[in-house]
Amino acid sequence: MEARSVAENTQRPGDTTRWRLWALVPILLLVAVVALFSARGGSVLELVGQSPPPADEFDIRRVELSPGEVRIRVTNPQREDLTIATVTVDDAIVPFTVEGDETLGRLRSSTIVVPYDWVQDEPLAVGVTSSTGIQTTAEVAAAVETPGPSVDGFFGYALIGALVGIVPIALGLLWLPSLRRARPQWLAAFMALTGGLLTFLAVEALAEALELQAVLPGALGGPGLVVLGVAISYLALTFLSQRLSSRGTSPGGTLGGLALAMLVAIGIGVHNLGEGLAIGTSFALGELTLGTFLIVGFMIHNVTEGLGIAAPAAEGRAPGLGRLALLALIAGAPTILGAWIGGYITNDVLGVLFFSLAAGAALQVVVEVVRYVARRAPGGLTSGYAVGGFLSGLAIMYVTGLLV
Amino acid sequence: MGAAPVVAAAPFAGMALAGGRTREATHLGPGHAFNAGHAAMIGEEVPAPGQAGDLDALTYPPAALPHQPGRVREYTLIAQDREIEVAKGVVYPAWTYNGTVPGPVIRATEDDILRVEFANGGAHPHTIHFHGIHPSNMDGVFEVVNPGDRFTYEFPARPYGMHLYHCHATPLKKHIHKGLYGAFIIDPPEPRPPAQELVMVMNAFDTDGDGENNFYAVNGPAFFYARYPIKVKRSQTVRIYLANLTEFDLINSFHLHGDFFRYYPTGSTDYFEYTDTVMLCQGQRGIIEIDFANTGRFMFHAHQSEFAELGWMGFFEVED
Repeated sequence: MEARSVAENTQRPGDTTRWRLWALVPILLLVAVVALFSARGGSVLELVGQSPPPADEFDIRRVELSPGEVRIRVTNPQREDLTIATVTVDDAIVPFTVEGDETLGRLRSSTIVVPYDWVQDEPLAVGVTSSTGIQTTAEVAAAVETPGPSVDGFFGYALIGALVGIVPIALGLLWLPSLRRARPQWLAAFMALTGGLLTFLAVEALAEALELQAVLPGALGGPGLVVLGVAISYLALTFLSQRLSSRGTSPGGTLGGLALAMLVAIGIGVHNLGEGLAIGTSFALGELTLGTFLIVGFMIHNVTEGLGIAAPAAEGRAPGLGRLALLALIAGAPTILGAWIGGYITNDVLGVLFFSLAAGAALQVVVEVVRYVARRAPGGLTSGYAVGGFLSGLAIMYVTGLLV
Repeated sequence: MGAAPVVAAAPFAGMALAGGRTREATHLGPGHAFNAGHAAMIGEEVPAPGQAGDLDALTYPPAALPHQPGRVREYTLIAQDREIEVAKGVVYPAWTYNGTVPGPVIRATEDDILRVEFANGGAHPHTIHFHGIHPSNMDGVFEVVNPGDRFTYEFPARPYGMHLYHCHATPLKKHIHKGLYGAFIIDPPEPRPPAQELVMVMNAFDTDGDGENNFYAVNGPAFFYARYPIKVKRSQTVRIYLANLTEFDLINSFHLHGDFFRYYPTGSTDYFEYTDTVMLCQGQRGIIEIDFANTGRFMFHAHQSEFAELGWMGFFEVED
């Protein structure tokens, strides 16, 4: 009988509105329950015992050194307010000033400025003690002056980004004429190789994201952030690939040719944003010596990314130089952006997000590439060319990755 | 770079003239633009809690009384759980005798009868264990005083010297480092010469519970005597009753700048060492007597640099 009356009600337009308004009822009830619990919840929690006090630990986000000065950026990662009480450098209490509030609300940050004559190249430990006496420490492996936002530094990061990002990809694209003359099964092998190297990048980015989120304060919700990042980029690229294929660049609903090359370039570009961020951050924090060897390592590693973009572009209409340059920029230029961001803003949340986005993007492109190989390559996915190519892609990334 | 080295070099100019020797100012290389300031924290910028005079009751002991065997000296000690500020802005949930760490100075003359009423107002069982010579049932080891209970310690005060008292409930380490300790002075029958008397109980606080101290000091809060120097007169001997109750660290020490002192271990009267640095393990104590040769500001601190820079540092302001 109830079911029938509901069925009758939904037929009338006025009632439809009423039932839509009904959707607000759970929300209003939730507000009421939350309010009631907030007011009286203490007695409920007492039934299951006392909760331990908060850890009262600060999150030391960044330690910057300039001549005669140490700057410590701290954030309150917990729900309760935290107050900066004392500051130590190498286990000595030091006078300090605070830029911002001394008492920090949840996720609020301030910068502690300490006049300090630090010693070049020697390790340095800073400690921030909250008003409840809990000390949080951070170590600088080797004290060097933190590069400030100078014009030289800005171009320096751009140059490094271009060297490890754009240059090797552009070089890799030069394989295009050779690839265009390759037999179809070899082209399939190279496409599979692209799939392999993107798989490698996806796993690498995911591992990096998970590693970074593990050290984030719990309040910032690490694992959720990774899932969100992966989903966003995966779905965004799915949407993009559908737009590209509906423009008729490829028959049969499968992306191919330049459109697929574009997608691969975007996937690699998102990855390189994370890579640039990692390079910039490590360098700024004195954790990485950007030696010639390391730059060369990144260059060799990234040449394969150019090959990955060239393989799908080998099919169909020959792209002009402009198109090729655009592909190289899309895939490589984000390294520069990442290096700038990493060099000047250390933000672990951003790092987690970037690497999650990179993982999602690479995964989506792998799906597209696999679909391409499955439908278009002679012998499909199980041919020796496809399997060999895929494994070679993984192996090449692994071996060249050892250089970094 | 610039101003600080010039200022620092100025006093040497006089020396150079007086000694007939020349002295070149040391030039720092370019890029050394550090904030020289003082070689230690002085004055307003010292991060110390409280206000001038806050530690007077712990710094200046009650006066010695003349020898009068059998006289009863009564004290009341109440164990209280209380949050105290152990360093600028840092609050520590301490266990105290009478609300302070260290607890009040207990003083008697040898052969006095010491009667200490102890009430446990804390949340844990406590005792008072006095160093000295007394019956075993007055030792603060077997008669544990539960929360809400009372106990009266009564025994003759002997031998004379500088002693200490502390809680001996288990776990001992916890009960001591939480703050249950204090200075216990027994004056000799033959009074010590008049002096400006001070008490310094070396202590430390592990505020984050990792078994390592975060703050060091004498008489409680870090850097208190750096922020509020102890004023003394050059014309009169300064006598410091010194005890070490630092937990976790094996030793602590006292070092005086610009002068030497006589150190009487455990407050002996017939033996002293002439030095400017003494080292004490936990429970060790003695009496320091300084006859300042100069006026001015003189530093005293632990000669463990780490302790000094974590709060165990202060100044004497010596005046004529």
